[in-house]
Amino acid sequence: MRVRRLLSVWTAKLISAVCKMAGKQGVTLAGKVALKIDPAVLRDLSAQVRKEIFVVCGTNGKTTTNNLLCSALEAEGQKVVCNHTGSNMLPGVAAAFALCARPDGRLDADYACIEIDEASAVRVFPHFRPDYMVLTNLFRDQLDRYGEIDITMKLLDRAMKMAPDMKVIVNADDALSWYLAEESGHPCVTYGISEKMEDVPRMNEIREGRFCKRCGEKLEYEFYHYSQIGKYRCPNCGFARPEADFDASGISLRDGITFTAEGRTFHVGYRGFYNVYNVLAAYSAARTAGFALQNFGRMLSGFNPQNGRMERFRVGDTEIVLNLAKNPAGFNQNISAVLEDRNQKDIIIVINDNAQDGLDISWLWDVDFDRLCEDSIRTITVSGIRCQDMRLRLKYVDIASELIPDVETAVRARLKDGCGNLYVLVNYTALYSTRNILAQMEKTAGRGLKRPQKQNQKVS
Amino acid sequence: MKLIIGHLYPDLLNLYGDRGNIQCMRKRCEWRGIEAEVREFQLTDPVDFSELDIVLLGGGSDREQMIVCRKLQEIREDFRAYVEDYGSVLAVCGGYQLLGHYYDTEDGRMEGLSLVDLYTRQGSPRLISNVVIENEGFDGPVVGFENHGGRTYIGENRPFGTVVSGYGNNGEDGKEGVLYKHVVGTYLHGPLLPKNPHVCDYLLANALDRKYGTRDLAPLDDRQEWEANRYAAERFAKS
Repeated sequence: MRVRRLLSVWTAKLISAVCKMAGKQGVTLAGKVALKIDPAVLRDLSAQVRKEIFVVCGTNGKTTTNNLLCSALEAEGQKVVCNHTGSNMLPGVAAAFALCARPDGRLDADYACIEIDEASAVRVFPHFRPDYMVLTNLFRDQLDRYGEIDITMKLLDRAMKMAPDMKVIVNADDALSWYLAEESGHPCVTYGISEKMEDVPRMNEIREGRFCKRCGEKLEYEFYHYSQIGKYRCPNCGFARPEADFDASGISLRDGITFTAEGRTFHVGYRGFYNVYNVLAAYSAARTAGFALQNFGRMLSGFNPQNGRMERFRVGDTEIVLNLAKNPAGFNQNISAVLEDRNQKDIIIVINDNAQDGLDISWLWDVDFDRLCEDSIRTITVSGIRCQDMRLRLKYVDIASELIPDVETAVRARLKDGCGNLYVLVNYTALYSTRNILAQMEKTAGRGLKRPQKQNQKVS
Repeated sequence: MKLIIGHLYPDLLNLYGDRGNIQCMRKRCEWRGIEAEVREFQLTDPVDFSELDIVLLGGGSDREQMIVCRKLQEIREDFRAYVEDYGSVLAVCGGYQLLGHYYDTEDGRMEGLSLVDLYTRQGSPRLISNVVIENEGFDGPVVGFENHGGRTYIGENRPFGTVVSGYGNNGEDGKEGVLYKHVVGTYLHGPLLPKNPHVCDYLLANALDRKYGTRDLAPLDDRQEWEANRYAAERFAKS
């Protein structure tokens, strides 16, 4: 058995190394092969985690939340296994453990922080039972892959039943997530934002789950933060947003994000209201596991979301922000984040329709692109496999765009004639290649140039 | 001239970018100087069909469709009179299934509106694909995306098109959707209308004809629409 595990671990490491040299990610392949060689590799390695295992589930915010949680634990001196790249199906999870294992096939880790695709949880949980699950939110996403959101919820529910002792750290502001967590009977810890936000952009957003999951009555909302996230209650059966155990207040979106939780003020240097939830979720999870988190603020100030989540690049004189946007709720939040920057800007939108993106791109019409009709936006360029659909989407809100199917060509065009402030919004399969392109450009063009220091405050 | 577009129950039936169909009709009216008003109806709102020129019935999840289905029985007679009087209807996906007599699922029978002589049975697996269809009445292919568990049988009715690529009504008889009087029923979303301006204009012309006795629509610059249509038609017709 031991030989098999060794072979499994080494092969995974080898595949990953070779793929990296070839400029590919290779994590999924490494995991697939590792499981093929030793189907018990994930079970055995995860059993060696000395303390506890966290999983992060939900439609949006998984990767950032999980990476934040991992960094928070590391800042407390813990050794952590984590699927940093966001490879979150069974092979990706297996790879995270195999790649982290020592050459003798043993794992040296106190904690595991693992994000898991909603539909994959049922396949991962037979290998290990997590101690905690963070449930971020539930939105419509890739309907051709997951089917309706009801199906996603059923799958998650099935997975949760496989780990009856698991504690669930859940977003209180999302009626769907809270319903799922509460009904599951698991012990729950809640986080949320109970104060109404001023200056929330008026949107005609598609909202999921307007009707009470428990009794079918239409939910009443005191306010929305975005999409269906807000303060809700059912006038019929009493289902309602619970008090948040961890509540973020005093939120400011100027120059990044500032908010207070448990009397401590935190600041992060990147944009996006939704990132309040990501930070708060990670904070709540680590606090729930018993950490005092004295180093949390310092960790935040050094945290780079990476992986194309509000990731910054600098090429020559142009500041570039790359951000993943793969479903309506995420894209609407992305647009809000872009608009929080009042400076002149150019935007490139890259839309692919590969299997991992979802073949169905009708969701583009559920995004409120009319909000991009703003003076601060100089140009919009559409790129990627379905750039024509994207151009048409914008045409029907009277926004003109330039069509440049090749991403690199599109970026070069805006580097040449742009205003030096470029946002690149991409969906899933465009992410890795675009990130490579930008990293390469930064490397060749920007040698010797340092990135500007981010302004960050420390914990008060 | 003015057209009033009624969107039935967008709170419940709003999967797959249905808003895009509304937006497309609205814009293609506006660009021609035709006033377009969109009325959204919630489940508790009364629907006066005599005021409407085009009705959109979209798709929802099975659960939400069931809620709508009960409500629809109350307005069935008014809806039927509207359809028989050549009122324009675009029914997509779940909305299309509701036009028929029933939808048999493993959880039981969902009664339809019986506006069009068709019925649907649940099948497995779900039929998920890009779709290209053809109809001589439309100048150019119709492209879209389908994602449905139901298999629909339209009997002797005219289909919306013949399947070139994809599954269509049931994956068996090569037919997609249904045309009945001024009703278009289809599984195609994507949404349907932006990439198929000829279909959008067909609905608008029918509505204008009924209200004002004219089918005259000023030509628009549809190059971007047709480029997107052609891209999908060429790419997916091969597969």
